[in-house]
Amino acid sequence: MSNHRRAIGDTLLSVEHISLSFGGVKALTDISLSVRKHEIFSIIGPNGAGKTSMLNVINGFYHPQEGAIVFRGTHRKRMRPHEAAKQGIARTFQNVALFKGMSTLDNIMSGRLLKMHRNIFWQALHLGPAREEELAHRRKVEEIIDFLEIQAIRKIPVGRLPYGLQKRVELGRALAMEPDLLLLDEPMAGMNLEEKQDMCRFILDISEEYGTTMVLIEHDMGVVMDISDRVAVLDYGRKIADGPPDEVRSNQEVIDAYLGVSHD
Amino acid sequence: MKPVGTSGLDTFPKLLLEHAQKRGSRPAYREKDLGIWQTWTWSQTQKEIAQLSAGLVSLGLRRGDAVAIVGDNRPHLYWAIVAAQAVGGLPVPLYQDSVAEEMIHVLNNADVRFAIVEDQEQADKMLEVKDRCPQLEFVVYENTRGMRHYDQPFLFQFQDVQRQGASYLQAHPDFFETEAAKGSGADTAILLYTSGTTGLPKGVALSFDNLIFSGELGRTFDFLTDEEETLAYLPMAWVGDNVFSIAQAYVCGFCVNCPESPETVLTDLREIGPTYYFAPPSVYERMLTQVMIRIEDAGSTKRWLFNTFMKVARRCGTDILDGNPVSPLDRLLYALGELTIYGPLKNVLGLSRIRVAYTAGEAIGPELFAFFRALGINIKQLYGQTEASVFICAQPNGQVRSDTVGPPLPGIEVRIDDSGEVFYRSPGVFLHYHKNPESTAKTKSPDNWVATGDAGFFDHEGHLKIIDRVKDVGRMNDGSLFAPKYVENKLKFFAFIKHAVVFGDGRDYATAFINIDLNAVGNWAERNGLAYSGYTDLSARQEVYKLIQECVESVNADLARDEKLRSSQIARFLLLHKELDADDGELTRTSKVRRNVVDERYGTLINALYDPAQKRCQIESLITFEDGRKGTLKADLSICDCKRVTEPLKDAA
Amino acid sequence: MELMFFFETLISGLMAGVMYSLVALGFVLIFKASGVFNFSQGVLCLFAALALFDFISEDGWVYALFGFALPVWLGILLTVVVMIGVAWLIERLVLRHLVNQDPIILFMATIGLAYVLEGAGDILFGSDVKPLDIGLPQGASDYLLDTYGLYIEKLEVVAAITAAVLVAVLAVFFQKTRIGRALRAVADDHQAALSVGISLNAIWVIVWSVAGIVALVAGIMWGSKSGVQFSLSLIALKALPVLILGGFTSVPGAIIGGLIIGVGEKLAEIYAGPLVGGALENWFAYMLALVFLLFRPQGLFGERIIERV
Repeated sequence: MSNHRRAIGDTLLSVEHISLSFGGVKALTDISLSVRKHEIFSIIGPNGAGKTSMLNVINGFYHPQEGAIVFRGTHRKRMRPHEAAKQGIARTFQNVALFKGMSTLDNIMSGRLLKMHRNIFWQALHLGPAREEELAHRRKVEEIIDFLEIQAIRKIPVGRLPYGLQKRVELGRALAMEPDLLLLDEPMAGMNLEEKQDMCRFILDISEEYGTTMVLIEHDMGVVMDISDRVAVLDYGRKIADGPPDEVRSNQEVIDAYLGVSHD
Repeated sequence: MKPVGTSGLDTFPKLLLEHAQKRGSRPAYREKDLGIWQTWTWSQTQKEIAQLSAGLVSLGLRRGDAVAIVGDNRPHLYWAIVAAQAVGGLPVPLYQDSVAEEMIHVLNNADVRFAIVEDQEQADKMLEVKDRCPQLEFVVYENTRGMRHYDQPFLFQFQDVQRQGASYLQAHPDFFETEAAKGSGADTAILLYTSGTTGLPKGVALSFDNLIFSGELGRTFDFLTDEEETLAYLPMAWVGDNVFSIAQAYVCGFCVNCPESPETVLTDLREIGPTYYFAPPSVYERMLTQVMIRIEDAGSTKRWLFNTFMKVARRCGTDILDGNPVSPLDRLLYALGELTIYGPLKNVLGLSRIRVAYTAGEAIGPELFAFFRALGINIKQLYGQTEASVFICAQPNGQVRSDTVGPPLPGIEVRIDDSGEVFYRSPGVFLHYHKNPESTAKTKSPDNWVATGDAGFFDHEGHLKIIDRVKDVGRMNDGSLFAPKYVENKLKFFAFIKHAVVFGDGRDYATAFINIDLNAVGNWAERNGLAYSGYTDLSARQEVYKLIQECVESVNADLARDEKLRSSQIARFLLLHKELDADDGELTRTSKVRRNVVDERYGTLINALYDPAQKRCQIESLITFEDGRKGTLKADLSICDCKRVTEPLKDAA
Repeated sequence: MELMFFFETLISGLMAGVMYSLVALGFVLIFKASGVFNFSQGVLCLFAALALFDFISEDGWVYALFGFALPVWLGILLTVVVMIGVAWLIERLVLRHLVNQDPIILFMATIGLAYVLEGAGDILFGSDVKPLDIGLPQGASDYLLDTYGLYIEKLEVVAAITAAVLVAVLAVFFQKTRIGRALRAVADDHQAALSVGISLNAIWVIVWSVAGIVALVAGIMWGSKSGVQFSLSLIALKALPVLILGGFTSVPGAIIGGLIIGVGEKLAEIYAGPLVGGALENWFAYMLALVFLLFRPQGLFGERIIERV
């Protein structure tokens, strides 16, 4: 048993020379990144720097015109979102994409869809092996509910929850997929300080307990610097820095992007 | 008083062994974990506790060592208390939401050597203060979450300690029984720290005899059995939880249920459906608000049904509960209401199985109290304090009033001295304040009478009425008692009144400042087609004055019924043009009025209230806006005279 | 005797209602899963019935080509396959290209689809009225006639039973199975569904296939009753008031809405018709729908529409 956070391993995901444009507008220009196993990797940058586009490329919402993605050693030019999910990539969204009419429990349960194997017939009858399987999934989901401390909202339709909790439920659904790679799109956006601290704690705990590799995007530099192993900085769709937080913090180009020339 | 523990069962460890033998397969504890209620029977509980005891001893626990217990209500922490007691340890539960700094005093004052904590959050606090608490040697935590990389040598995991204990027990199978037999009823069972209003918290030492006396009262006074279900959700460091969830549970042998998390209490309540329940008035108030919101949202049919049957319930529900005669028609209507409204409502609230529910701590509004009793929920009030092992007075079934706390309980003596202060003497009276003989001597006389610091009197039925803290009670010029808080509470029970400040100490008559409740009065104004531009405008309206006058006069009528308090009837009042505000220093952060600030700032208004010639008064006051800017607010307030009941009291007896 | 007559009217109304419900069911399925009002559902019924006719009738294609007609069970099976194929084509050729478009665009697309399917049906199967006979019992139930003096069509009883079974199967499918869960997820939020690994394309094929099968059942019932003909596609218009009554997203709503309309128009025709000069049956349903739109726009079982600021 290790006493510290899981040791960072080999490269899990690498993004090679990605360029993406919409019509004539370039969103991403020749970006390469590599994310290693068990790492917390942050992509930061001012608004409109192309952070979310980058995430959308990784999980297949966008198909880049150039470049490729290598995930767990498999080389891909393009991938579709549900395929990405099958490969073990889960994500959350900046504006929260939950099944608003379903309860917290059902939402997180939906993260288990890919892991359910019993055929329709057994499921329909709710008998035998399907029942056992259902119970096993339910247990896993309950562990996540416990982990995220959301027992109190288990049965509440998520549409009625405050924003901060919705974000937590969304994280729970992503965790239920037991992903190898977890993409978090501005997990702390729109939260107050206390909620942000909670979210940071959850992210660190996820890394410690499950060893999940995470790529997270943040607008606000402060929060992520403390929890990230490495940080990449995007500006105008280009990568301007990449490295450990301290190194990035003192990078002149980064300072300029954040302070000198603001664009928004 | 009959001797407790008839067969020598004078400590909790001994009672535990008894239950494990007599009702070994009945549930003792339940806790919701991963969405499922887990149950421990009495015999399983005995095993868990024995293993923990043995484990603690093998870690190095000696008789007399203090053991701090910190965390939410969890079976494991309840076990820790009894496990420590069994081997002669002294449990010291701490308030789990205290910050580390606040814990230092208690840890040092009690010389805590072992701390048994719930999780990482509490363990971190112990680590933070360990350097400043030299006696603290061992920290045992239960929940492993987040503890993976903690490698301090003095940190132990709860189940690991139990495992160690289990192997110790294999070598010494009679260990637990032998150790338990060494304890006796006169031993200190627990140290409970009370946050006095001034100075550092004092450790109240209670013996097993003290606590078991309170436990027995549950059986003899409220007829609790081993079939009860309770939900333990109030802090373990509070004396009430020690009596309701430990002493009474161990004396009667009933089951204590622990919530899944502090946020799920209301859901857990619904799922467990306790038969015995305690909650402060604020919890009941929250339940009522919840019900009212739902009813507002419900369709018109449902609302009509609710209103109709609540009328029936208000008319006869309490009488049915108390076993008083009720007409057959009302009985039929009530039964119908039970089927359609009260039953489902109680079910939703988790109160359908309640046999006995208590409230205490603050005055409870008569409306609120009546609402629950009308539904057929047997809520009663009690009066107690830590030093008494809770019980001093309580209302027997069938003799429940909203404004008294009942007669002294069997075995308890109560007297009131000339200043109005309440004193009591009972088998529950605490041993002493830990390491604090001066305070002990100040509070407890050599012949065991304890001063409560509360002022009160007995009404004609022999029920005690608590009116205020002794130090806040004054005298009016005619020499009668003046208890401002008592009158203010009565005013605040009206939804229209948010705050009230009552004057009268050293005066000929009583007067009041009143803050209207903008929501309630605003709603009322809307319904009555009264347009207003804001708080100040609304407060100045004659219609609103009239509305509040009715409230004040009904309080006067109420006060007039009490010989001792009838002089406190409000003669004149005014509605303040602004809300008393914590930002302006007029309220504490917990929304209590700061009298001295109010006295000083609104002196001109007070003078006007005591000048019968003045019907209006001008005031200029400082105000802080939402954004922090300051400004002055000028207003011209009118003063309203109220009717007071002066005819002599009819003999109520 | 008057009472008997009332019952007869009531029951035949209920039976007609079941027919409406069957069509409405297809609409609800697609609307639930994709928020699309599928204008072509009626044409799907026609198309399915035409295909079945050609597999099993002696006047059909198969007979013309091979000199024998297929047995009924095989014909139904093959028609199911055809409907799945149609669903697949619709997803490939139409829906896939309209992801993330406004519902109104998708609605327009289904109108186009209706014409395409109708034309295709016309070309493939011809446009004359074809009697569909798959061996369902015809005529009045002797038992009911002899015992209670009630005149009830056997076919209508069969339709009612079929509808009940279909609804039960669909309910289990939606509530209990993995695919059912996925369908509900897609109906709720596309992006979220994608991120948990649900393939939108696959789900759409499944939904349209199920709607196609429901259309086949409806087509068989209506075809057996009054022959397979172009007017079959117009029953879609009758399904509209049913949906307004029952709510667009509710399976039970579709059933109850259908029954209310069926009974309502029969009773109205008999009892109120003479007062207004008859032909009430033709517009009663629309009038009822209009009343509902005014007072309960979400329908009997639809989700309450709450606009939040």
